[in-house]
Amino acid sequence: MEISDENFRVWTENTEVYFDGIFRLAGPDAYAPIHSMIVGLLHEGHKQVTFNLTGLEFLNSSGINLLAKLTIEARKMGELQLIVKGTNQYPWQAKSLPNLKKLHPLLDLRLA
Amino acid sequence: MTPTLYGIEALASENLDASTRLTLRDGPLQLGWKHSGMTSDFLAEVMSLPYSRSTRDYTQAHHDIGYLSNELIENAVKFRQPGEILIEVGISGGCFFMRITNSIDSASLSRLQQLLHRLRSKEPGELLLERIESNAISEGSGSGLGLLTLLSDYDAKMAWAFEEADDDHFKLTTTALVALPPSSKL
Repeated sequence: MEISDENFRVWTENTEVYFDGIFRLAGPDAYAPIHSMIVGLLHEGHKQVTFNLTGLEFLNSSGINLLAKLTIEARKMGELQLIVKGTNQYPWQAKSLPNLKKLHPLLDLRLA
Repeated sequence: MTPTLYGIEALASENLDASTRLTLRDGPLQLGWKHSGMTSDFLAEVMSLPYSRSTRDYTQAHHDIGYLSNELIENAVKFRQPGEILIEVGISGGCFFMRITNSIDSASLSRLQQLLHRLRSKEPGELLLERIESNAISEGSGSGLGLLTLLSDYDAKMAWAFEEADDDHFKLTTTALVALPPSSKL
């Protein structure tokens, strides 16, 4: 499954979701198709799902809201291990990704 | 009429006469969402140029200027009433300053004021998590999240001034600054 426009691409490979490019959509409605695609994966019964953000250069606050909502969705599913892979190459990740850990202490945040 | 101030009041009266100014106006190009990103990209490119001697500093300055600009311009475009959006930016004392002025209606004013009142009694980081949790339950618009992210994750200093204009309109002036990398000899 893949959703993309001229600035970003989001796709799934098995239990890993890849986010690539620049997320600067106008709000929750614009992010809704991406939200639905990933919530679908979270509910497929896997033991573990990974969000790979290493290609996500920039995102606006509505994009942060999307990641937070997905984290809360994963938190609700007690048996599901959520791994978030990030990079220190893009400054927003070191600044804002630790908030996801505050929302979901069992989340495995890997910033390299 | 004296404006109503929130946030760091001294920032609201900071003199930005020496700043670079851009004005966004509705016109044949139909000012829209994409102009927020294009304008903030432009500001990040231009204002981070003095940091280009160090890749690390440049990346940091470019990102922080881009993030701050993008959030403030997105808010101005999203909540604006007809009229121009004035953007003033500058670098002073190791910080990037931005002031943005636009017109909003009373409903937008009221939502923003509620958030600013809450900020007087709670830490931005705590309020950010609270807002995220409530958005997840209520399908909320996420509005206010940009300001909270700037205050919490970017340690931005901010001030807001409201002035009644006419009918249902208010002039909103938002001033913000973020510290830029200290190693530069600017």
